[in-house]
Amino acid sequence: MITERKPRSFLDSGVLARLGGLPLMSRRPMLGQVSGRHASPHRGASVEFAEYRKYVPGDDLRRLDWRAYGRTDRYYIKEFEADTNLRCCLIVDTSGSMDVGSVGITKLEYARRIAATLGYLAVQQGDAIGLTCVANGIVNNVPARRNAAHLSNVFDVLEQAKPVGETKLDEILHEIAETTRQRALIVILSDLFVEPASLRSCFEHLRFRKHDVAAFHLLDPEEFSFAFQRPTRFIDLEGGPAIFAEPSEIADRYHRALKTYLEDLKKVVLETGVDYRRVSIDSPFENILTQFLVDRARGNGGR
Amino acid sequence: MSFLQPWLLLGLPLLLLPIIIHLINQWRYQTKKWGAMMFLLAANRMSRGYAKIRQYLILAARCAAIAGLIFAVSRPLASGLLGFSGGKADTTIILLDRSPSMQDRSQGGAESKLDTARRQLRQSLQTIGSNRWVLIDGATNKPQEFEDVQDVFDSPSTFTSSASSDLPAMMQSAVEYLQNNKPGQTEVWICSDLREADWNASSSQWSAVRDAFSKLPQTVRFHLLAYPDRVPENLAVRVTDVSREQSETGSELVLSLMLNREEGKTESKTVPIQFEVNGARSELSVEMTGSTVEVKNHRVSIDQNQPRGWGRVSIPSDANNADNDFYFVFDLPPPRRTIVIGEDADATRPLELAASISPDPRVEAIVDRFTIDQASSIDWDDSGLILWQGRLPTDSLAKSLTGFLKRGGSILFFPPTPNDSGNVNGIGETSNEFAGIRWSGWKASEKTMVENWRGDQDLLAATRSGASLPVGQVELKGHATLSGELVSLASLSGGDALLAKSPTEQGGVYFFTASTSPKFSNLARGGIVLYVAIQRALDKGLVSLSNTRAMVAGADEEEQREPWRKVAGPTEILSTEYALQGGVYEGNERLISVNRSMQEDQNGVVEEGQLGELFRGLDLHRVESKAGSTSSIVREVWRLFLICMIVAMIAEAAMCLPKIVKRQGALA
Repeated sequence: MITERKPRSFLDSGVLARLGGLPLMSRRPMLGQVSGRHASPHRGASVEFAEYRKYVPGDDLRRLDWRAYGRTDRYYIKEFEADTNLRCCLIVDTSGSMDVGSVGITKLEYARRIAATLGYLAVQQGDAIGLTCVANGIVNNVPARRNAAHLSNVFDVLEQAKPVGETKLDEILHEIAETTRQRALIVILSDLFVEPASLRSCFEHLRFRKHDVAAFHLLDPEEFSFAFQRPTRFIDLEGGPAIFAEPSEIADRYHRALKTYLEDLKKVVLETGVDYRRVSIDSPFENILTQFLVDRARGNGGR
Repeated sequence: MSFLQPWLLLGLPLLLLPIIIHLINQWRYQTKKWGAMMFLLAANRMSRGYAKIRQYLILAARCAAIAGLIFAVSRPLASGLLGFSGGKADTTIILLDRSPSMQDRSQGGAESKLDTARRQLRQSLQTIGSNRWVLIDGATNKPQEFEDVQDVFDSPSTFTSSASSDLPAMMQSAVEYLQNNKPGQTEVWICSDLREADWNASSSQWSAVRDAFSKLPQTVRFHLLAYPDRVPENLAVRVTDVSREQSETGSELVLSLMLNREEGKTESKTVPIQFEVNGARSELSVEMTGSTVEVKNHRVSIDQNQPRGWGRVSIPSDANNADNDFYFVFDLPPPRRTIVIGEDADATRPLELAASISPDPRVEAIVDRFTIDQASSIDWDDSGLILWQGRLPTDSLAKSLTGFLKRGGSILFFPPTPNDSGNVNGIGETSNEFAGIRWSGWKASEKTMVENWRGDQDLLAATRSGASLPVGQVELKGHATLSGELVSLASLSGGDALLAKSPTEQGGVYFFTASTSPKFSNLARGGIVLYVAIQRALDKGLVSLSNTRAMVAGADEEEQREPWRKVAGPTEILSTEYALQGGVYEGNERLISVNRSMQEDQNGVVEEGQLGELFRGLDLHRVESKAGSTSSIVREVWRLFLICMIVAMIAEAAMCLPKIVKRQGALA
């Protein structure tokens, strides 16, 4: 399937092959359209027993448990868990700030790799994959579908994504929360340069809509260390005014502001149940994804 | 503040270096695309004011460090002695007052004013430096050049002497040196105790010196290192008169002496005075209650067979040892022999009479009278004075009289008197002259009076008690006129001289233009003026005949033409300085006593206002010090600036230290 397509710079066949054995699990029941490997909130026809319930007229008599009737002289319907596929919505931040990259790769490129790999893995296991590129609005939106040809469209959109404009992630997340059908896996790939208080409401909104939210917080090592020696003119990639600063003068206060932000963000994601991953873009994305998938597999989805 | 290397201050613009580097650094900024602007904005909002202040403080510390370095290498001095321009002078002239009063010691101190001055000046001038060093000492007033400042103060000319200083003359010597040598920037250091006797503030020479300094093209700065403190416990002894007398029992010296101390002192004090005559010592205790005590006619027995000798009067050591000894010499007085040569008996008779009356009855006065024709056969050797009336001597006679003058004798000339027909023989002849002076004419008049005369010196000076001679009462009925190079000692109405002196190296040549004949003047009738003038001229002439001489130190250095031998006096003095050092010396078979001048015993000090007036219009910087002072008048303070620089550098380093930031945890 992939080999027929033109090679994508953000796809690494080796990584795909190594991660192919790991399932992408959701932490919550999903509402899919077809049978899949994810838990559903509804009862279905899987082999896994769910519960007994009293018979009500109209129920399919084939599902009546005659043995229970024999023991209790009451009619019980035996119900089983339903298996469904999931809709994975990849939200990639394409604002100007994603164009940063001091280690030979930009944050956007890193996001592309994660998104493409996750999309591939999802489609491989029969899940639907959708993509939303966001900046100061929704730049591109590919609805979730589960066929392989659709994956190619997703890759095309990823490839064409340009880091332009300012971030209005909080507003867009609210919008996505409303427009995306309930119970989807929402994967956010962004530097999250939004006030944690704004993000809190976004995450709560998504949670309310019963989405499983995962966030990859992409940070450049320089943004974290802020180890500059010379006076530097910092150009705002999102169109704001440039700031001239003596790094040695400002570093301690920068670190203090960053630390406060990260602590607040940590608190927000813990309280809103977001699967939060802080990622330095100098670390191999394969490791990040492996850890992500393994953690989810251990959690066994939402069951 | 002054600097020894002021040209290094040209490096002060380097102060701007940190600011320029800072600006260049700002200008050479790097541009960085940045996403996490929210943290930068937050950081900028936090403590922005303090960060700015710290930045300015760091810049200020760097500038201060450079300033400290530049000031340190410019070698700053604690005082503003050299003015702002400072720097090494081309020529440094040191006027050193080495008079006896500079030997004052402070209470309990071991170092005199002169020693302190030498030490302080040596230290200071060594620090300041100069291309050329010139010393003008107060005893000789002669400039001496030196290569090195050490040599200046090792020179014997900087040690104590008994001679008084003459500051106007020293200043004159300095200005003449500057006019002759035309050096560049000059520093003049005057080192003195400001005694009135040395400074002679009323001298008219000061204004001439001041004008001369003002007109010099080069910059001349004066530094006065003053030691005006008076020593409260100091006694000075002085012999005012000494004579040898022959009594029935033997020979005796009759001494009169004076003890001086600071005015206003009234407490009683017993002073032991020690006499040493030809090595024999005796002592006399004197009770002193006022500021001055005079001992009159103290008799000391001497060997009858010893006609001449020397002695010393001493008092115990006190705050100034330079005025504790006084030397004297004594001898039998030479006979007062006068030769009167004249043509007119009327005129020569009063001269004989005036010369034959000795002012001291114990000394015989001898007068020999000759005519001009007999003069060639006279033996001049044992005479002190020649009174010559008539036409002036010529040829071999003139040569003989010149020899008499060179020996130290005195000659008093009187004009030829007109004969009955009014003609005057020997007047108006151009070839008839002596010592460059001749009788040029005769002015007859009814009555000519004396208009003015020199009452301060020479033959017509006032008496010791201060009373003037009655020169104004002299009346003339005709007088001769003089032509030639002469100095008038008394002038008649009309401007002609009554008494004139010819400037000669030795001896004295005087010309009276009035005839002593009663027909032409009342000189003989009044008598006093004539008598005093003749006796004073005789005294001057007898000096050369005497075997002893009492000299004031430094007053007549030329006297030491022949090598002297020291008989008594301080040790460790150079033979070339005998005329400047108190003591008894022998030269040319004469005993000579040298002592400090009378003015040295006066304690008056030149006041601040007077000093300002003396140096009006000149750049004077005064430094006060005192005997035994251990402080330096010029102190380098570069260490202070070096410390400032180090402190600034440490402060800068402390402010630049990066803050210790706790290591952040792993990102993911």
